[in-house]
This record gives sequence, C-alpha cells and structure tokens, in this order.
Amino acid sequence: MCRQESQSHVRMSSEEEIAAEESLSIYCKPVEFYNILQRRAIRNPAFLQRCLSYKREAKHKKRIQMTVSVSRNEREGVQTQKLFPLYVFLARLVPDVVAPEYNATYRFSRACMLSNSTGVDGSGQHQANFILPDINKLALEAKSGSLAILLVSFVGAQNPLRGINLSKGPMDMASSPANVGGYCLWSKIPLELLYISWESSPNFGLGQRAELMSTIDMQSCFLKLSCSNEDKCLMIAIPYNPETAIISQQVQVNISAEELGAREKSPYNTYIRNDIPSSSLAHIIRLRAGNVIFNYRYYNNTLQRTEVTEDFSCPFCLVKCASFKGLKYHLLSSHDLFNFEFWVTEECQAVNVSVKTDNWTSEIVADGVDPKLQVFFFCSKPLRRRRPKSLNQNSKHVHPHVLHSSLPSGLCVLLDKADDAHSSKGDKARISGVSSSIPQSYADPGCVQSISGNNFAPSQMLLFAKTRKLSVERSDPRNCALLRKRQFFHSHRAQPMTLEQVLSDQDSEDEVDDDVADFEDRRMLDDFVDVTKDEKQMMHMWNSFVRKQQVLADGHIPWACEAFSRLHAHELVQSPALIWCWRLFMIKLWNHGLLDARSMNNCNIILEQYPSKVLDPKS
Amino acid sequence: MAKFALGSEPVVGSLSSSKKREYRVTNRLQEGKKPIYAVVFNFIDSRYFNVFATVGGNRVTVYECLEGGVIAVLQSYIDEDKDESFYTVSWACNVDGTPLLVAGGFNGTMRVIDCGSEKIDKSFVGHGDSINEIRTQPLKSSLVVSASKDESVRLWNVHTGICILIFAGAGGHRNEVLSVDFHPSDIYRIASCGMDNTIKIWSMKEFWTYVEKSFTWTDLPSKFPTKYVQFPVFLASIHTNYVDCNRWLGDFMLSKSVDSEIVLWEPKMKEQSPGEGTVDILQKYPVPGCDIWFIKFSCDFHYNAAAIGNREGKIFIWELQSSPPVLIAKLSHPQSKSPIRQTAMSFDGSTILSCCEDGTIWRWDVMENS
Repeated sequence: MCRQESQSHVRMSSEEEIAAEESLSIYCKPVEFYNILQRRAIRNPAFLQRCLSYKREAKHKKRIQMTVSVSRNEREGVQTQKLFPLYVFLARLVPDVVAPEYNATYRFSRACMLSNSTGVDGSGQHQANFILPDINKLALEAKSGSLAILLVSFVGAQNPLRGINLSKGPMDMASSPANVGGYCLWSKIPLELLYISWESSPNFGLGQRAELMSTIDMQSCFLKLSCSNEDKCLMIAIPYNPETAIISQQVQVNISAEELGAREKSPYNTYIRNDIPSSSLAHIIRLRAGNVIFNYRYYNNTLQRTEVTEDFSCPFCLVKCASFKGLKYHLLSSHDLFNFEFWVTEECQAVNVSVKTDNWTSEIVADGVDPKLQVFFFCSKPLRRRRPKSLNQNSKHVHPHVLHSSLPSGLCVLLDKADDAHSSKGDKARISGVSSSIPQSYADPGCVQSISGNNFAPSQMLLFAKTRKLSVERSDPRNCALLRKRQFFHSHRAQPMTLEQVLSDQDSEDEVDDDVADFEDRRMLDDFVDVTKDEKQMMHMWNSFVRKQQVLADGHIPWACEAFSRLHAHELVQSPALIWCWRLFMIKLWNHGLLDARSMNNCNIILEQYPSKVLDPKS
Repeated sequence: MAKFALGSEPVVGSLSSSKKREYRVTNRLQEGKKPIYAVVFNFIDSRYFNVFATVGGNRVTVYECLEGGVIAVLQSYIDEDKDESFYTVSWACNVDGTPLLVAGGFNGTMRVIDCGSEKIDKSFVGHGDSINEIRTQPLKSSLVVSASKDESVRLWNVHTGICILIFAGAGGHRNEVLSVDFHPSDIYRIASCGMDNTIKIWSMKEFWTYVEKSFTWTDLPSKFPTKYVQFPVFLASIHTNYVDCNRWLGDFMLSKSVDSEIVLWEPKMKEQSPGEGTVDILQKYPVPGCDIWFIKFSCDFHYNAAAIGNREGKIFIWELQSSPPVLIAKLSHPQSKSPIRQTAMSFDGSTILSCCEDGTIWRWDVMENS
C-alpha cells in the first residue's frame, strides 16, 4: 500500500507524533486479515469477484447505443404526421438477391415502430434504440457498406405489418403469414455515413454524445416481408413506373449515439467545464478515468494518509471494481472492518476510511488471546432479500447483490454464494463475539469456503468430533462445573471415578478388552479337536493381531502380513512347525487373491533375515 | 433337569431322626422387629470361632457365644441409610489379620466394617442392584465374592478395595444371582446359582494374574483393569425353580431350590470342552416345609453336617458325608414358628443359631447326654 503523507495543518509535539503513529497501527491487523483473505481467494475466487470480472470486461467493450427519432416540428405539418406509424429497421443487405423481381433484400433481426405521439393507447414510442458494437468494430461494418437503417412507412396503403408486433422479435412473426407485402414509403441511411460523422466528432471516442440531424427523402416502393424461423427479410422492389414514385416525402431524422451506460455518469466524469481545450481533454480523461482517492483517517480522525488507486481498485484486495459504485459496494460488503465515506465531486472521487472501533463485532483478536478459548456464539435468522421484481432491459440489475450488510467480511461472499444456490432465501448469519479465530490458524484455505449458510457450527465442536477427546480445559467452564457436581462411574466396571479420571482424556466406552478377547479366542480354538497345537497357536496369533490392528479390509492384508511377520518373527523362526503354518496361511491368502506375491516374498525375506540379525551381535 | 441312568438314582435320606445328637434351646434373642436374614460364625480367625454376626434391617450386630447359652453383644453398627436392608454378611480378614465384616443388601453398596477399630473401612460401589450373598475365600481371606440381583458376581479385594473380576456377560446368569461359594481347595473356582434356575461354575485361573495384581495395586482402585469373565466352565440345571443356596462339598456341590430338599451332586466336566458336562445327582436331603425361596443352609467348619431351617421355624440337621444321609436332629420349639432364613453352625457343630423372619435369634446347644 503506497501511502503518502497528507499535508497536516496541525503542529504536533513529538509525543503526540508517537501517539499518532501508534494509533495508525490499528490498521495493521485488519489489513493483515484482508491480505490473508485475498491470498486465499487466489485459488478459489469468490462468486462476486467472478461476476465483477465479467462486468469489467463488458465495460471495456464500450458498445454504442444509437437512438433514432423523427422530429415532429409543427411546421412539417400534417404530412409528417401521416407517416406514422413509422418502422425503423437496422438491416443488413443480402448480397445475392434471391428473387429477381426485387431490387434489394435486407435481413434484420428487430424492428422498432415509432408511433404518433397522440397514440390512442398511449403506448406510443418516440424513438428506436439500437446497440452497436464499439467504434473500432463498427469501422469494419461501415466499410463493407452493407448495414443500413431503413425507415418504412405505409402511408394510407394497406399495411402488411399491421397486427404484427415487430418489436417483440421472431416469435410473433412466425405466427403470422410468412409472406406479406404492399406498397410503402421507404428510405435508407447507410451506417457508413453515420460512422464517418461519429469519427469526425472529436469527443465521441471519449464517451461524449454525438448528435446527427438529417433530412431524408422517403420514396415509394413495393415491400415484401418474408419470415422464416430464423431469417427475417425485407424485399424491396422500386417500381419502374415513375408515376407510382410520385409519393415522396421529406422527413427529419435525429440520430444520436453515445457509449452505453453513459447516462449514469458521475459529476467526476462529465467534463462539462468549458475551459479545457478539447485536445488535452482526451489526455486528462485517460489520466483520471479510474482514479480513486483513499483517505485513511487515524488519531481520532484528526490525521489522514492518502492513497490513490487506479481502475477503481480496492486498496485492500486489489480487486478492480469497474466503477465507483461497484467499488462502493465492494468495500461495504467485503471490508466491513472499516467505516467508509464516499464522495464524488467534479474534482475527485474519494473514499474516507477509518477503522471501526466497535470491538464486539470485530474479527480481530487482541494480542495474547487465544481465539480457540473464546466463546463462539451463532444465531441465524431468515434473510429477507430484496429482489428485482422483473428483469428489465436496464443494466441496473447487474449490481452486486449484497447491498447492506452487517456481516463480517468474507462471509458475505459466502452467504451470497449460498443464497444464489438456493436462489430465494438464505440464512443471514450474525456472529457476535470473537468469531472463528485468527485466520492463520486455518491451515486449509478450503476451510472457510466449505462453510455454507446454515453450517456455522462452532468450530470447537468439530474439533472434538475429530480428536474424540473431551478436554475440559478447552470446554465451557459451565460443563466442567456440571462434571464436578456429581459422582461418575466407569462404564465397564461401574466403579466410582475420581474427578481426575472424569476430567482426563481417556474414554474406554467402546474398547474391547484385548486380554479377555484373546482368552476367549484361545478357548474357542481349544474346542477344535482336529487341529494341531501349532495350527491353533497360529490361528490365535493371527486372530489377536487382526483384532488389535483392526485389519478390516482386503486391502489391509498385504500390510498386515508384513507387520505380522515382523512382530512374530522370533516365535515363527523358533518353531519350524509354526513357520510352516504361517507360510501355508499366506498361500491360502494368495489363493484368494488377498495377498500378492511381492508381499509374500517380503514376509519370507523378513523371516529369513531375522535369525542372522539376532545371531550377529552374539557371535 | 438331570436324567438318571438305571441303577444310579440319587439316595434320598430318611426323615426318621437318628437321635445321634440332641439339641436344646439355650437362648432366644429378640433383636428387633425387622427380619434377620443372615447369621454367620467367624470361621476365618480361630481366635474368634465363637463370635458371630447377624444382619437385619440397616443393622449389623456382632455377638459372642459364651458358656451356658449366654450370648453377649459385642458391637452393633447401624447404616446411615435408613432404607438399607442387609441381606447377607460375611467375615473376612485384612492382610494384617484384622477381622472385617462385609455386609450387603438392598441398596447394593457393600460395607466393609473394621471390627478392630469399629469403623467402616470401605464401601464398595459397583453392583447395580441388591446384593444377595457375600462369601469369603477361606484360603485368601481378603478375597470376597458377591452375588447380586444385577445378574453378576463380583470378586473384590477387601484389603485394597479393588473390584478384580466381574462374572457376567454372554455366559452369565440370566436373572438374580442368589448364592455364591468358593471352592474349598481349588482357589480359582467358584460356583453361583440364582433365579435362572441354574448353577454355574466359574474359573478364574486365566485371570489369576489380576487377582495377584490387586494385592499390590497402589493406584486408585477405580483405575484397576477390572476384567469380565463372561463364560462359566460348567453349567448345571439341577432344579426347576429358583436356586437360592449352593455350597461346595469337596468337588461335589450342595444346592437347594424350593423343593423342600437339598441336593448333592457331582459336576462332571469334560476336559476338552469347557462349558459342557454332565451332572450326577448323588444324594438328596429332604427338608419338609422348606418351600419358600431365600432359605439358606449352613455347615460346620468341616462340612460334616448341614443345618437348615424351614418355613415353620423348624431346623433339620443332616449328616452330609454319610450315605445314605442321616438326619442328625430335627429341632423344633413351640414358640419358633416364624420362617428361618439362615442358620449358623459353630466350628464343631455343637451350637446352632437360627435367625428368623420375626427378628429373633435362637441358640441351640448340643446336649451332653451320656
């Protein structure tokens, strides 16, 4: 974090300076904490961040929104009024003309109907909006000369498009008769023309609005609309008979274009001051674009240090937030250990940061306090989430979801994740007291991620379950007092236990008494009459070994055989009859496919080498 | 129920008294209103052969039999638990020779009383229910065994206060254990019987290391690795009802149910297969009117005779080791009408004590006729 000293007007004594330095250190712990979270997020980025990166990319595309409208000047009179409803198409010329009787065929995807302002149903639309790719891509399109804006009006003639809601897209078209046609007035504005005018406009490339007003002639023609499932085509035939071309009318068309989303500009980005020469404006805009000033307040908000980040980056986790608004939401949701004040002027966009002094909700543990010893409270209440009623075409709904959060950071992201998974309701967890721990204690980065909305069980419980130890030192003092209150008895012997035993880590509840089990095994084997003594001993040794070592799965057998050979090598080597039993048993295991040849060989090597090992030191 | 081969039917004793000995009531004590369930002479310590103890209610009393039918009260202990009702008492001995009394009953706690210092030495907690009988190993008198309503038999070391073994589990009793006894010579062997109508013989040979360990244990008693003995070495179904008393007679066994008779039988174990075996019923000692449960018999030190009371307050004394059995004496007194729960024969059988349901103790002494 690059900090620079702000000019402080207060003169301070050296003691005060030291105190001020110390008070600045309250930033250390939260910043350290967020650094850890950030490192953890590298491997497993949170949902919100991934959304953000998509939004950032989208913003860089700088698409153009074009608006076409027809001016309704009174002096134009009734003639213009008669043209309504006027259809506006953004259409592409199909180079190979299918039908010879038509002059041109255009393919389009969407048509807009401009209606009279005095529309009976009041649903009139005065302008048609089209979204174009960014200016560089548009250059290629313009050069090809195939794209054009078409204006079509059925003046008094039979309207083949009546009753068809063109603006809705292809599904209505499909239901209508596939081919309709009729006489109409039409004109076209090549996109090339528009492009040239935009290109020449000095500030259009910097996100400024460009307006174009032109008067166009509308000529009569025969128009045929053909719709298949995917292709919507306009076919135009200009009549040879000049008499039919009499009907011609002039219309004034306004075409304005600007970068998409420019409406939401903050005062910082408007550049309405006129004293800047337009030549240097481009430079200034580029320089200022994503710069945000962060003022870190400390020493009871009397001092501050300043940092400037670019590209709307978060100074704590370096996430690029695409816009000042995005940065605002990011800071509020992800870094709630700080208080933020946001302000935007024409001069600058800035954030005042101060550390929250409310210890109760703090994630930060004081020095010398073991977070594991702290009591962890958890309570949850159902979250009522504001959701947009309908998804309008507005880009507004793409905002980050967590708007107002009193949660510790990180968890918000998780909650959001959980919430999106359930897509309706999630649990809002509120954690009071010292929550989980100092983050370093989580060795596993997946640890936090795996916690989902409702599973914020105290980590202490999990610890118990894992180690199967009931350590009173770690547990609630209240539980300990309860343990002291009454006499406890041993689960096997029913003998009264001393407090020391009750509080110790030993728990024999499920233990098998190996001595007794051995004894019973031997007695069971004694019942066999057709088994030799050595075989019985071998069986007993193996049974006992298998029970004590918990050899349960087939996969354990190779290991068990080697360990058994090592453990009983002495007895086996001493008695040839016994070792023969053991080998026979291994062969049986091999027959059943439980023991591989290599392991069997290892066992025999262990047994072969055993006597030499013992005898060597003696000799 | 045991089947008998032809020609090997048990010998049943004749109820016609041989009048070998004659007994006479020499004393009668009313200890209290509560029934007295046990009376026992001290056979552990030869200095105190004439000392006996009784239990009734929450009271343990120690008496001495003096010359001329006199009974002197030596000590009396009252349990702090008013609801306690002792069912059994046994003499035991510390390693250093201090006589101890081990009493148990309704509430399942065993009290070890040091009769030298007249204080409670230890309390054994462990049984989950009432204790029906406590017996002392005569060869190692710090070892006591207890039979409980919780279907288990426990072996304790009164010196160190350790519960060494628990005879219960898969092969254990399936109902209250009413009686238990140490083998007179085989230190590893005990026999128990109970409400599951069976008599089980247990061996602690495999676990003897733990018994030895219990004498040298210095850590907390609760940390001792108490072992479960789950399977008896022998199981006998002699009776068809509750078996409420069993005693070894050498390698033979005396046991009784509610059938008005004591049965002497021989457990015949197969060397190769423990747990299985056959029973040979040798003799029967009829005891008329002994048809309620929890009436126990007692023997003199040498097991020459056994004395048993009945429901009507009469006592039958059988010569045990003769065949056919000889009824030594039948004791009755017009005022003794209450059921006799337990009798006690003195070292040589010259004195017989009986404790009754009505809280009385009767002393019978052999008549010096001749």
